[in-house]
Amino acid sequence: MTTIDQPLADTAYPFLPVEPSEAARRYAAICADRPMTKMTMPIGGDAWIIHRNSTARAMLGDPRFVREPFRTGERTVPYFMEFPEFLKSTIQFEDPPHHTKLRRLVQKSISPKRVRGMRDSAVKFANELIDEMVAKGSPSNLVEDYSIALPIQMLANLLGVPPEDRPKFESWSASTLSVANMAPEQIAANMGELVQYMTALIEERRREPREDLLSDLANARDKDDTLTDAEIIPIALILIIGGFDNTANFIGQGVLSLFNNQDQLAVLLEDVDTVAPTAVEEILRHAAWEIGNPVAGMGALVPFVATEDVDLEGQLVAKGEAIMIDPNGANHDAIAMAEPATFDVRRADNPHLTLSFGLHHCLGAPLARMELQVAITELFRRLPGLRQDGPVVINYDNLTQPITSLPVAW
Amino acid sequence: MSKVFYLQPDGVEKVIEGTDGESVMTTAVKNGVRGIVGQCGGALSCATCHVFLAEDELDNFSAPSEDEDDMLDCAATDREPNSRLSCQLLLREGSDIHVTIPSSQL
Repeated sequence: MTTIDQPLADTAYPFLPVEPSEAARRYAAICADRPMTKMTMPIGGDAWIIHRNSTARAMLGDPRFVREPFRTGERTVPYFMEFPEFLKSTIQFEDPPHHTKLRRLVQKSISPKRVRGMRDSAVKFANELIDEMVAKGSPSNLVEDYSIALPIQMLANLLGVPPEDRPKFESWSASTLSVANMAPEQIAANMGELVQYMTALIEERRREPREDLLSDLANARDKDDTLTDAEIIPIALILIIGGFDNTANFIGQGVLSLFNNQDQLAVLLEDVDTVAPTAVEEILRHAAWEIGNPVAGMGALVPFVATEDVDLEGQLVAKGEAIMIDPNGANHDAIAMAEPATFDVRRADNPHLTLSFGLHHCLGAPLARMELQVAITELFRRLPGLRQDGPVVINYDNLTQPITSLPVAW
Repeated sequence: MSKVFYLQPDGVEKVIEGTDGESVMTTAVKNGVRGIVGQCGGALSCATCHVFLAEDELDNFSAPSEDEDDMLDCAATDREPNSRLSCQLLLREGSDIHVTIPSSQL
């Protein structure tokens, strides 16, 4: 929104990194000006980038946008970097009806109800980690001691990795983490071992099922169809990579953004249990803008292709054109939310699209939300005096720019 | 035009005049009704638009499909005999809809 005493914001897109307050002004002006911009991507040619929240929802909820040409290799995925080959074999590149089959099978095992049943063990584990931090004494590196350990434990629980194998599983999985900052060949070797291990575990669960996701998948029957290992492995991998890395990053970003907004931390501390759910949504929407980095006007979720000409809020998207949403825009669209530049842990109406929307919305969304709520609640409930105790380290070489070290004291 | 009455667990009611043919979920999301998330956009894959439909309106809609029935089992708040996913309840001319929103969707 532009007021009389402010100069008009620049509506060019993409734009180079600027201060977050300036990025917010620009996104608000861009969203007011048009629903999307066509740009030439560094890889794969032209694509529409959607800015507006309502346009993003309309596209993500429209089955005329598909991913088949990317999956089959008919087209290069237009993106900021080369899209990793193995990701194209995962559920996020499938379309209905095969997508529907895979999604339904996994969905039940990671549903809001199942996740609610995992909450007690998450609380217990978070408290064990805090106990260890307290026993060691401050300062502590929150990333190492807390934000990586919690999601990986939850994931091992969900998948059904036996306790005696957890250390191996953790070290293989951790190598996929951007915060681990490992060499590509070392990541490949670890991934190879992880796939081998998972294949053996699936075989075991097929013979002797238990109460876990791998057993559900190994024994899933959708009408007369059974899932093959080639279908199950990518699902497990996308949960490990998508779930674990992102959740670890959000915990770190969340805590740092609270440190940087002491007034909001005070609001949270007044009533941690009540405020944590809205605080987590606000962290998902906006924490990356509150960790002291400039914000660039680019970035997007995985693209789609239009199967026919589609009018999206006045803009014609022609058959065969690629299109994707920029969550930064959709999460800072002043048409869709009040004062998008403000970090407000009590924000009641928060239509952010960090976990996407529609058919391809984040498969692990219920789990991610629960883990983040538990992580924030338990940490600040147990250690209300928690504070930053040294400079934070961010890996700028990685696309997700993860926090690799966050020293804290209490 | 028909109206949807959304009753929150705390007793607060919000009445929205919706567009015929649109769902109770879409109407809620467009009008900022708290407690209906609708993350999958109506693709029957998230169970975050769970509502309790007024008992005397149950017969105004066809029974839940097998897919809706499966997803209702996944909802964060335990299902009741009058549970529905609001993305499957479409507004129809002249027929008001009363739903109660559960305490949790996530």
